[in-house]
Amino acid sequence: MVEAEKVDCIEFKWGKKRGVGGKKKDVQFYESFFYDGVDYTLYDSVYMYKEGETEPYIGKLIKIWENADKTKKVKVLWFFRPHEISNYLGDEKTPKNELFLASGEGLGNTNVNPLEAIAGKCNVVCSSKDSRNPQPSDEELQEADFVFYRAFDVGNCRILDKIDEKIAGIEVKFLLNRVGNQNSSGVPKLDSNKKEVSGNAVVTDYRRILAKKESYLEEKAASSSGVQFDEVAKTNERQVLVKEKLKVAKASGDLDDRSCKKAKLDDSAKASYDNKVKSTQKLRHGSNDSSSKAVAQLTPAAEDKSRPNLTKDPQETNNALSEKPKPDEKLANGKFPEAPLRRPSEEGSKTNYKIQEPTRRPETDRSKWFRGLPWEETMQTAHEQGTLVLLQNLDPSYTSAEVEGLIWQAFKQSCTAKMIQRTARSSPHSGQAFVIFQKREVAEMAVAKLDEVCLMLPNGRPLVGSIAAPCFPGKQSTFFGHLTINKLRIHMQREMKEAVSTSHCSQPNTLEYDMAMEWCLLQERSDLALRKLRQQQEQELRKLRATLKSK
Amino acid sequence: MDSTSTAEADYAAFLEKVKRTVYIDSLSPQVTESVMRTALGQFGTVKNVQFIPNYTGPKNIPCCALVEMECLRQAEAVVSEITQFPFMMSGMPRPARAFRAEVEMFDDRPIKPGRRIQCRWVDRNDPDFEVASKIKRLVRKHAAEDLFLLQQQLAQEEKLAKQQEETLKANYKKFTIIDNVVSDGTAPGLAKFYNMKVFDA
Repeated sequence: MVEAEKVDCIEFKWGKKRGVGGKKKDVQFYESFFYDGVDYTLYDSVYMYKEGETEPYIGKLIKIWENADKTKKVKVLWFFRPHEISNYLGDEKTPKNELFLASGEGLGNTNVNPLEAIAGKCNVVCSSKDSRNPQPSDEELQEADFVFYRAFDVGNCRILDKIDEKIAGIEVKFLLNRVGNQNSSGVPKLDSNKKEVSGNAVVTDYRRILAKKESYLEEKAASSSGVQFDEVAKTNERQVLVKEKLKVAKASGDLDDRSCKKAKLDDSAKASYDNKVKSTQKLRHGSNDSSSKAVAQLTPAAEDKSRPNLTKDPQETNNALSEKPKPDEKLANGKFPEAPLRRPSEEGSKTNYKIQEPTRRPETDRSKWFRGLPWEETMQTAHEQGTLVLLQNLDPSYTSAEVEGLIWQAFKQSCTAKMIQRTARSSPHSGQAFVIFQKREVAEMAVAKLDEVCLMLPNGRPLVGSIAAPCFPGKQSTFFGHLTINKLRIHMQREMKEAVSTSHCSQPNTLEYDMAMEWCLLQERSDLALRKLRQQQEQELRKLRATLKSK
Repeated sequence: MDSTSTAEADYAAFLEKVKRTVYIDSLSPQVTESVMRTALGQFGTVKNVQFIPNYTGPKNIPCCALVEMECLRQAEAVVSEITQFPFMMSGMPRPARAFRAEVEMFDDRPIKPGRRIQCRWVDRNDPDFEVASKIKRLVRKHAAEDLFLLQQQLAQEEKLAKQQEETLKANYKKFTIIDNVVSDGTAPGLAKFYNMKVFDA
């Protein structure tokens, strides 16, 4: 059980040093490192895990360093998947495994990420016929997880057939295939396994770390049961994955003599979760949730089963488990120094009291770098799919990004939020926002939870959520208050066309003015009524808020 | 700390933009961006027009828009003109209304630097649970009240519009009758008969 020990703490070693940098020469650059059983070198292609995303991102390491505060960072030059840039590809059909190298100037080219976000190596081969590119052999092309021969200019949003001489300050020769053996050198087997790992991450949409743990299990399983992983690895079929996961689940069950329990759990994510709670607790990264999928798959029975296991961990006993065991909450128990979502450790033992502070998620969410569909369309689809939620009682001054952070903090779900713009009629007491979750189940779960217990925002604002039934403006035709005389209509239309501006201030000696005054009067009356109502509402709210015990 | 200072600068720039923006209300759905530009072009230079979509309310509530002017003075001029005189845009007699814009009206407002929002779950065992649940109900009730008031007001608007339409029709009928009487020679004939002078000429 040596490996089981390993699982508890992901192995890490720096490799070859490069120079130092930074203002005080306190930043140490490296050329290679060893992480979780894999050697990584500069310009390797890696999978980057991003919580809530269905697929891991792929990028090239172009800088590796350690800051003075011991945080490990990597700068990544991204590859785009065809569907990410489909708007610019047009109708062109691309092979499934084609990638586009990011190039040009602008947002979306490179990013600095924590080193721990790396999920594994990825074998990307450049198939460009370019003379600068050492041509890959057929075998290498066969083995490659992905190939690329084109680039995507993030500045101009164009597909480039020729790769630039320099991208993000890196000479192109480093970005193409290496002379001699290729990327896959050293860890060919692991590569394919890793791919599977990320595949798992895709399916279970589960935490990267968990996925990683599974990879250990898989390796173990492979060695013990003799499953040919390399074969399986190449396929992306879900069925295979599921089957395989079952095997893993069983294998892991055998390994720790709990097979009777394990065998019943049909979800390997769950199984591995049970196994690994301890280890995962130590890891902040992606303190994200088990996504919708995992949540959806946790049948009540499974939850029940998981509870005794969970409580084995001493730290867990006084935790939030009494209400609803949510794996994500525990995962938020970060121990990494820069954990943004860390919970204060002084948790009330009884009341499940914890202050949570929304922060913005790590900046790897590339889906937002490019303008998506117009909001209205997005909202419409979300509404049809039942993923649209209306939040009420927000502070009206919150921004959409803050609401996203809030949801992230409360539910560990990524979402797209939009504050509803204030108008003269909007309530100053209760801000509203639309939130689009990724899955219907998640939206329903969030609404149910908001209903059942209360999410308290500052200033005594419990959040109110409901499945939204938005009204789509569409073609609005009725508007009270603009009159026309039928017979004059034709005449007036001509006049309107000829006139420079039909907008004007009315003069006091006209019929129009008299009528306008009637409207002003009505408007005043409406305003007064609204003001009165608001006053009354505020009083009611204030009275209730005064009875809150904690402020 | 570069990022915080740029965030602050961004926010300050945004506040400037808010100051020179006017919120226009009671608009007919026929008002388009170009109508708005020409209408408010009388008071200054219109830099940007953004209509605020209505996703929550009943469908037939009037439209509203944010219009960014070139400077604060122009924005003030727009508001004071439109408030002092009933301002007709794309139709009459219902006037448009104008106010100074507020930060919350903007869709793309940046995060106010330095703010951190803390939230916490309050479950059944929490002493505040009762009150929190009550507040939640109250918020829902208030939303319902708002909607009710809005519907009432819409009904009133509809009533006024109908009333005015009738008045207008009646007035127009009078006008056409007089016009006809004059143009077909009846009025001059009668005047001659009674030996009266109807025309100034």
